[in-house]
Amino acid sequence: MSKKKIVEFSRYPIAFLALFVQIFLIIAMFLFASLAFTPEGTPASEQRALGAVVVYGFIIGLFLSFTLWEIGFSIREEQTRGTLESLYLSPASKVSSLVARVFAILLWSGGLSVVAILFVGGVVGGLPVANAGLALVVLLFSISGFLGIGFMFAGVTIKLKETAQLLVNGLQFFFFIFSAQFFPFAALRQVHPGIVDGVSKWLPVSYSVDVFRSLLIGAAEPELGLGWGIEILIVVAFGLVSPVVGYLIYKRLEASARREGTLGEY
Amino acid sequence: MAAAALARGGFGLGRPGWRAKADIVRTVFVARIKIIARYKGAIFMESLIPIVFAAMPVLLGTTVAAQQGEDPGAVFCDTLLRASPTCTTNYKLYMLIGAATFSVVSLMLWLIGYWVRREQETGTLESLYLAPARRFWVLAGVTAYAFVRAMIAFVLAILLGSLLFQVNPFERGIPLALLFLAIGFLPLWGLSFLFGAFILKIKEADSVIQVLQWVLAFLMGVFYPITLLPPLLRATAGLFPPTVVTDGVRASLLDIDFFYGSVYGSLAVLFAMAIVMPLLGYQAFGFTERRLKRREGVGQY
Repeated sequence: MSKKKIVEFSRYPIAFLALFVQIFLIIAMFLFASLAFTPEGTPASEQRALGAVVVYGFIIGLFLSFTLWEIGFSIREEQTRGTLESLYLSPASKVSSLVARVFAILLWSGGLSVVAILFVGGVVGGLPVANAGLALVVLLFSISGFLGIGFMFAGVTIKLKETAQLLVNGLQFFFFIFSAQFFPFAALRQVHPGIVDGVSKWLPVSYSVDVFRSLLIGAAEPELGLGWGIEILIVVAFGLVSPVVGYLIYKRLEASARREGTLGEY
Repeated sequence: MAAAALARGGFGLGRPGWRAKADIVRTVFVARIKIIARYKGAIFMESLIPIVFAAMPVLLGTTVAAQQGEDPGAVFCDTLLRASPTCTTNYKLYMLIGAATFSVVSLMLWLIGYWVRREQETGTLESLYLAPARRFWVLAGVTAYAFVRAMIAFVLAILLGSLLFQVNPFERGIPLALLFLAIGFLPLWGLSFLFGAFILKIKEADSVIQVLQWVLAFLMGVFYPITLLPPLLRATAGLFPPTVVTDGVRASLLDIDFFYGSVYGSLAVLFAMAIVMPLLGYQAFGFTERRLKRREGVGQY
């Protein structure tokens, strides 16, 4: 399935290129937006720190969005084409089938992330890259956690069909804001301290963003204030528990669709 | 083939009159509205997206300015003053207008692009070419629907966003802003035709729409004044109808300078675009159609 997805990807060179260009444009837009609020005479080091906040948060956002979209969209496509029912009659492992759907896009996101770091680094004159090894481990656990959310949405897509896409869209924007993917958590605190304490701190994705970003920037402490040990533990637990829970939810929704005979219905 | 020949010949004496043409537009419009009415959450979500879009630069900007101990509104005003004699400290409304106008442009392109692509994929595009109706009227129905849907999202986004950001968009310039939006519909219409032609030709709708909407967002200055762009990019951006519309709506509601110097300058440019773009778009659509019909046919996807 992964190989099939990679072959499919390679057949659409425009899509490949478009994704690349899109990433640069989004980052450039946010950099210009921050420029509009940067007072004249701001030291270059602060501009670099801000660039790092934007791009490192964006990388987590990229993996999360692609995982959410790709699994749900690919299930939806199978529904529309009428191949989902036949696929579920085959003796192939369901979990492999789900992971394989995102494999190609995750590989591609990794490449995009490296180029995004180089691009922003080039624009702002270099980005801080501290604790890269540990940050990578955090990223891997985070991706595993995102896969769990993706599995859950695969189940929701089977149940809700077209409406699930809207839900994914909403969830994506929810995480953009409440997990502070494009700005520091301090910005949310300025609006209302309750947003961070009442919403952000309850989202495992926020810890993925915070730990990954703070590690790479080389901050003394992560922004959410629970300390390195606890925040890293939350990310690891998220990476281990989320796929299991997500898969169980998916199996439940799939079983219910099979019972009702709505698996292939779209 | 027989049906096509019959349609080309105009059905003998039975050429569709104005009433029939209006009926085509109405039928297509009503059909699309009925389809979208099945997806209740879609319109609501379309209204929320611009608010989230506006919130991101607002939050980012607030942090950037606060880190320097400055008021974000004052810094934003200074940025505007670098290129023009007037400014605004109401950066929240500035971002909200940009994001809401962007959603109109983006929705128009998505809806038209996807309509062409869907008809191709479901195999109904060819049948449509055999119907005794000119594509112009069918497209007019689809674009009218896209515009109405986009405007609903725009109005809801401005209203909800204003409540959330605690800004008042009704202080001044409402009629002028509406005039910019109304005239801006025509070049957008033309742009949608151009876009439809492009999708018809290259077929990969998803990627093209996605990349194009970000190109437009970048050039429109959704999150920043386009005066921040390098001169060549700024000049290119000024030739895009969505840039002029966004700038016009912002300048009307926020009482800041127009990109083309004055309200008359910007309106004149938009009028010119309103004449040129639909003609150009429809010509491009017709040209692509004819080429495809001669070669592989419009149904291939």
